[in-house]
Amino acid sequence: MSTPNPWAPPPSATAAEQPRPDAGDPPPDAPAAPGEPGADERIEWRRLHKVTPLLNAWKAAAVILGLAVWNYGEDLAQLDLAWAMKILLVVGAIVLGAIIGLVYGAIAWRRTRYGIGEESVFLHSGVLWRQQRHVRLDRLQAVDVTQPLLARLFGFSSLKIESAGGAGSNLTLSYLTDTEAQRVRNEILARAAGVRRTGQAPGAAPAPAQEAPERPLLELGAGRLVGSLVRSGFMIVTILLVAGLVLAIALTRTFQLAGALPGVLAAVGYAWSRFAGEFSFRLGLSADGIRLRHGLLEAKARTVPPGRVQALSFSQPPLWRRKGWWRVRMNVAGYGGEGEETTTVLYPVATTEEVALILPLVLPDLGTDRPLEVLQAALTGTGTDEGFIISPRRARVFDPLTWRRNGVRITDTAVLIRTGLWWRTLAVVPHERTQSLAMTQGPLERRRGLAGVDLHSTSGPVTATIVHLDVETARTLLLEQAERARRARRHAGPERWMSRRGGGEPDAAALRAGYAGVLPAVPAREEMP
Amino acid sequence: MESAAFDVPGVTWNRVSDRLIGVRRLTVAVFLGVPALATVVPAVIVGSAMWLLPAVLVLLVAWAWWLIPRQVRAIGYAELEDDLLIRKGVLFRSLTVVPYGRMQYVDVQAGPLMRRAGMAQVQLHTASASTDASIPGLLEAEASRLRDRLTEAGEARLAGL
Repeated sequence: MSTPNPWAPPPSATAAEQPRPDAGDPPPDAPAAPGEPGADERIEWRRLHKVTPLLNAWKAAAVILGLAVWNYGEDLAQLDLAWAMKILLVVGAIVLGAIIGLVYGAIAWRRTRYGIGEESVFLHSGVLWRQQRHVRLDRLQAVDVTQPLLARLFGFSSLKIESAGGAGSNLTLSYLTDTEAQRVRNEILARAAGVRRTGQAPGAAPAPAQEAPERPLLELGAGRLVGSLVRSGFMIVTILLVAGLVLAIALTRTFQLAGALPGVLAAVGYAWSRFAGEFSFRLGLSADGIRLRHGLLEAKARTVPPGRVQALSFSQPPLWRRKGWWRVRMNVAGYGGEGEETTTVLYPVATTEEVALILPLVLPDLGTDRPLEVLQAALTGTGTDEGFIISPRRARVFDPLTWRRNGVRITDTAVLIRTGLWWRTLAVVPHERTQSLAMTQGPLERRRGLAGVDLHSTSGPVTATIVHLDVETARTLLLEQAERARRARRHAGPERWMSRRGGGEPDAAALRAGYAGVLPAVPAREEMP
Repeated sequence: MESAAFDVPGVTWNRVSDRLIGVRRLTVAVFLGVPALATVVPAVIVGSAMWLLPAVLVLLVAWAWWLIPRQVRAIGYAELEDDLLIRKGVLFRSLTVVPYGRMQYVDVQAGPLMRRAGMAQVQLHTASASTDASIPGLLEAEASRLRDRLTEAGEARLAGL
């Protein structure tokens, strides 16, 4: 075996392990030292609101009650006791659970503290297993303010800071009062944006960060939401299933609902969660990025700073076509891998006109002279109109219906990938957001001289795959795209979005002059400046 | 083998070590050959139709024996100025371009067999889960060189997300 050992730590790692005097963060193994985490940085340590244990206690009570009913439910029914006594036992279990939850919650609350520094947000917590979590502000991906039903009734919120480490890579502050949560959010966003407050003495009480003014753009009415759910692909499947069930009952003349019940319950649950989650969806714009507010029972206000949307998709189930509705979804590094469907929705049901308003929020410049026409072709078009590259005729074996629809258009700023004839989808990936690229070819594709290209984005609902291109075209596209991505990365804005020159809210007038506006039904050349 | 489409003009590909062929063949021999031998026993006792199972397994081993050298020779990588190129596959081919600046971390791994043969696998991770940028069967010296080179290049061209 040769002398260089791959198991030895690389030189850079050893360097990183040595203490750096300029590091602002306290070393992770140092005891928590509230008030003085670093020599050159003073952090004001704060606590969560006192009501936190109370708001959490009902969860412990519910768990204990559930366990008790599950394990001793039958025994209780058979016990030779008066009804009053049985009810008293159940109430006792609830009270016991609540007390245990309250005591544990109180200890946990005492052990939890958070602070906001110039570079990071800190959260120290845990009773038996202590945890210190530091999130670097320049790695912040999104900030969510959530109000679960109970907390909402009493005016409390939970604040969640997403960073790009996959599922569970967030820092949650629950609970704060509504005003406190907003204040903390504004402060975190202002610092993450790189807004430095000058002329402030260190240690002085910080002036409250101004909330970036928000401009509401779109609001989803309940009517359209219900309509979209009724026409959704999920509903088609459900209706087919129910029809099948009715047919089966009619034919066999036996009524076995028990078998179908779980399926029906799941369908109702899904429909309800979509309705409640997407109810009153509002999209706004501020200097801190896109702001989304939604929810019927549990209200959420989410902020996605500029440049954090990695990819977008617009999709249309068959029954939405006549209405011209599109579901807009996004890949955001922090949201990836989190189960909830609504988390990755940028707007649940957008009309075609609204699509042309939403896309510029993520991609202010589509990178073409005829943005509206290109967008129209990308959403609904087929063939090579507006510069789309489609599969060659010999790909018909694989895609007999969709070979003219599946296509890709590369503009100066983004890749547009359209797929699907019945279930239309358009994926948009800005050049500076592709992680890596790949070209793939299976044995059958090789016989036909075809190949596919994948653009790898962070995990989320949007996948950017171009299938069955001519193999030479695919290779050229791959290599040129690598070059384009490289150039785009070089000119990409900084992670701290306000520190760029002329940073700030995208100008509404400029956006409209760009390409936000009503899509022409028929591509109209003379409309363009 | 015609692989012009998966070639990049002006790029010389580095190949991985041929020792990987031996390691992979040994793995196949253990995981398919041993069951093949084991199924021979009931075949001898019962006879006729029971021979089908060992026959299929032996055929699979033979196919893998033929395929593995081609697969290993098809693996290539090239360090360009800004990107790492990885080429793979005989039946299902792929050509992956990973910009150094997108690198989140590098893994060097080796199982017991690979370590005995003095080899390791280098894998580059980006923020995307779908990036498949692994180079198996590098000699240990080359693996550590590549790891250091990737780390260095990644730091120099670091990009955000």
